[in-house]
Amino acid sequence: MKARAHVRLAIVYVAAAIVLVGTIGPFLWLVSSSFQYERQLLNRPPQWLPNPIVLDSYREIFEGAILGEASGVPYQSRIFLRSFANSFFVAGSVAAIAVLVGAYAAYPLARLHFRGRSVLLFGILASRLIPALSLAIPIVLVAKKIGMSDKIISLVFINLSFILPYVIWLLQSYFKSIPMELEDAGRIDGCSRLQVVHKIILPLSLPGLTSAGILAFLLTWGEFLFALLLSETPASYTSTVVVSLFATDVDVSFVSIITAGVISVIPPICFALVFQRFIISGLLSGSLKG
Amino acid sequence: MQTRRETDRKEMSPGMLAVLFSAPAVLIIAATILAPFLMAVFLSLHNWNLKRPGRERFIGLENYTDWLSDSDFWGPLQTTFSFAFLAVVVIVVIALLIALLLNEKFPGRGLLRALLLVPWAIPSVVNALLWKWLLNPQYGLLNAVFFELGIITEYQNVLGSMPSVMIWLVIAYSWIHIPLATLLLLSGLQTIPDDIYESAIVDGAGVGQRFLFITLPMLWPMLSIVIIFEMIFALKVFDIIFVLTAGGPADATNVLGWQIYTETFRKLDFGAGSSIAMLLGGITLALAIIFYVILDKGVER
Repeated sequence: MKARAHVRLAIVYVAAAIVLVGTIGPFLWLVSSSFQYERQLLNRPPQWLPNPIVLDSYREIFEGAILGEASGVPYQSRIFLRSFANSFFVAGSVAAIAVLVGAYAAYPLARLHFRGRSVLLFGILASRLIPALSLAIPIVLVAKKIGMSDKIISLVFINLSFILPYVIWLLQSYFKSIPMELEDAGRIDGCSRLQVVHKIILPLSLPGLTSAGILAFLLTWGEFLFALLLSETPASYTSTVVVSLFATDVDVSFVSIITAGVISVIPPICFALVFQRFIISGLLSGSLKG
Repeated sequence: MQTRRETDRKEMSPGMLAVLFSAPAVLIIAATILAPFLMAVFLSLHNWNLKRPGRERFIGLENYTDWLSDSDFWGPLQTTFSFAFLAVVVIVVIALLIALLLNEKFPGRGLLRALLLVPWAIPSVVNALLWKWLLNPQYGLLNAVFFELGIITEYQNVLGSMPSVMIWLVIAYSWIHIPLATLLLLSGLQTIPDDIYESAIVDGAGVGQRFLFITLPMLWPMLSIVIIFEMIFALKVFDIIFVLTAGGPADATNVLGWQIYTETFRKLDFGAGSSIAMLLGGITLALAIIFYVILDKGVER
């Protein structure tokens, strides 16, 4: 029996090792490449670990951002940090507004009985079934017409509406898990509905609100289609757009391209690992039962 | 008693409250989803080309009938189906295997589950860049690995020819989609009570039998959700195509998402673009419903 347990553990660990390499191997190779000299990348067999650790491509991005054209670095490197800041602004604003607006919308859906409740919930969810590509066409047309193209505020607005249904769904299922007795107790003590939301529901939902906010941030950070279509100048590029400009340009050195890729995933990966519990619970409750 | 009734009277009805509370969210969604959707329907019924301004006119279903008799629709449709089919199979099979592994108890399980979030958190565009690097014909790591192992005798340009481009596109796409599918399937596995397995072991059921007669049927509801979700995602693939293949080589990866993009934003034919986007949306919805009905039957059985 003991031998069998050992065999089982051995199989499990071999499988786990394969999954581990498959899961983080490709990304670690990207990181390792970003710290090498361009010519070292040509080595056969490949050089697994950087030796020495080369920071040139990272320096390029900072120099390019500060010195501009005088730095002599590729165009994409010069505009990268700005796009990085734009991504933070868009994803951060979307997360904050989506949680705030979503929480109020989710409360009646979770707790109140009113006519049209299921219609409202269904309508909000069904809006996500429409493919973004078909919405992109009129949105771009109108944005250009009313002068809202090439503005990051438009990106906040657009991303918000794609994230909101998801946040509302997640929060209403979270609100439902809060015992009704607590709310009733508050009502008996004379709280209005608004006070109940502010003093009981929201404080108790902090984990759910955190999950929703982080998911909103991460999904917005990675958004590409609208970021591409609604931007014309570096002023409104997000990091995904600049990464795509890097990746589709054959004249830029590989190290620069790779470094841009690495920097642009530092925020989402750090977030994902630090808040993994919130994310996993959010992903599971958000896409499952309500 | 008196005061209680007074506070009641001051308060709004639940319906009024619901309207007030959800108004901001509903307005935002209506402005950026509902209104554009109606406009897209409108555009799809018009001759609307930005290269020929002033010639916009209503043409009924002509855009649609044009597409349905055009190989530029059927070709990409077939490519989209091939891609979606392969992607869903790869994602679901690998995710299921990883979920089964993570359902076992072993030290380090929590860490492995957490690390799954690394690929999940990588934006699709960066993922495309990553695989462009891994598959590079001169410096790619995968070329190096296969070369060192003696599987290939010279470095290959896998993105330059069929069918390798489709295979690697599917693998690259699947890499960031497997984690979520895994977590969902894992949560499904964890709802299966241990004592069912225990009594099956007592009855002499082997590993294969337990999987086939306990795990699979009990996991079916979650499995079908994952299949439908992944299918909907895969049918509208765009980001990775944009960076990795641009529809090439020679239309080999020209999926409908890419066709819509080039039609609309390169040829600037918004009418034709809108109508093919509507067709893709309709096909996706129809397939989702069909799959839902079929897979739901699987649950009852």
